[in-house]
Amino acid sequence: MNAISIHRAGRCAPHGAPAAPTIAPIVIYGTAWCAATQAVRRHLDRREVPYHHFDIEKNPAAAARLRWMTGGSLRHPTISVAGEVLVEPSLREVDWALSRAGLI
Amino acid sequence: MEGKPYSRRLLELEERFEQLEPLIPEGSEKEAISVLHGIVQELWRNLRSGGPAPSTSELTLSDIAELHRRAPPMEGEAQSIPLPVGTQAPDITLQDPNGRLVSLRDFRGQLVIVAFYPLDWSPSCSDQLSLYQAESGEFDRYGAQLLAVSADSIYSHGAWAAVRGLTFPLLSDFEPKGEVARRYQVWRSKDGFSERALYVIDKDGVIRYSYVSPKLNHVPDIYELYRALDGLQARVHGAPEVAGKK
Repeated sequence: MNAISIHRAGRCAPHGAPAAPTIAPIVIYGTAWCAATQAVRRHLDRREVPYHHFDIEKNPAAAARLRWMTGGSLRHPTISVAGEVLVEPSLREVDWALSRAGLI
Repeated sequence: MEGKPYSRRLLELEERFEQLEPLIPEGSEKEAISVLHGIVQELWRNLRSGGPAPSTSELTLSDIAELHRRAPPMEGEAQSIPLPVGTQAPDITLQDPNGRLVSLRDFRGQLVIVAFYPLDWSPSCSDQLSLYQAESGEFDRYGAQLLAVSADSIYSHGAWAAVRGLTFPLLSDFEPKGEVARRYQVWRSKDGFSERALYVIDKDGVIRYSYVSPKLNHVPDIYELYRALDGLQARVHGAPEVAGKK
């Protein structure tokens, strides 16, 4: 992965500010203007769950990777939780995946 | 970390799969592999979630809340330039869903975030306002009151707020239609609804941040809003002013 940004927010850190590098098996692909992407990111921020975030409009390699993983779709947000790829999941579905992976 | 740890084997396989992407020439074979991977992931997802919910003839509240996902898209370029930072905020006095008048003056002495949005029930607006509902605790921490304004009636606002669980004031810029949005230079006269726009107004009633989404379906970046609020707080405590993005 190139141009990785790792996020660990919540009120203990600036919103969306890069945190110290850490292993984060969660990757979010989205855009800055997508409300659902923002909702997923903020949901993880509140839970203080670190994640990698790629803006597919600013990162062509990430967009290509998303297309590759989803059978050609660029729908967002798409979130990979420890290898489980969820295209446009509900927050409840994200929580289920986090729980299954032992990340919350 | 709590609970059962994730499968490192699966994670390694997924990472390996990702790494292969740039190594495979474009073409139908690459597409087929990608489609197969998508199928496996979706099958697994359905198995994990128990598959799609059984169909029922009864319309549920959740069905209504999800109507926007099948609604016609709302698209178009921005047509407006918002009022500049430093301007005294024009008056807002509009009815909430209960028919009570809510005024910007009621909140003098605290930060106010005014969110103009095109229409209730529409695609991006539904997700945007649900996002703001989820952020209500964070807005509270900034001491900021959110006021959401559209040209819908108080009855539409009441039903929409109930379905989506919105607890902040939805104000009806209904008659004269769009009058407040015009004062804030965010009315789209040919469409009959407003731009998607944000203003942050300080405790003295002065605009400190203004933003119009460049496209109607683009929801303002919440992280940018928080950067603006952080800048305002820094300014209050003596640091230089951080200008809001136009």
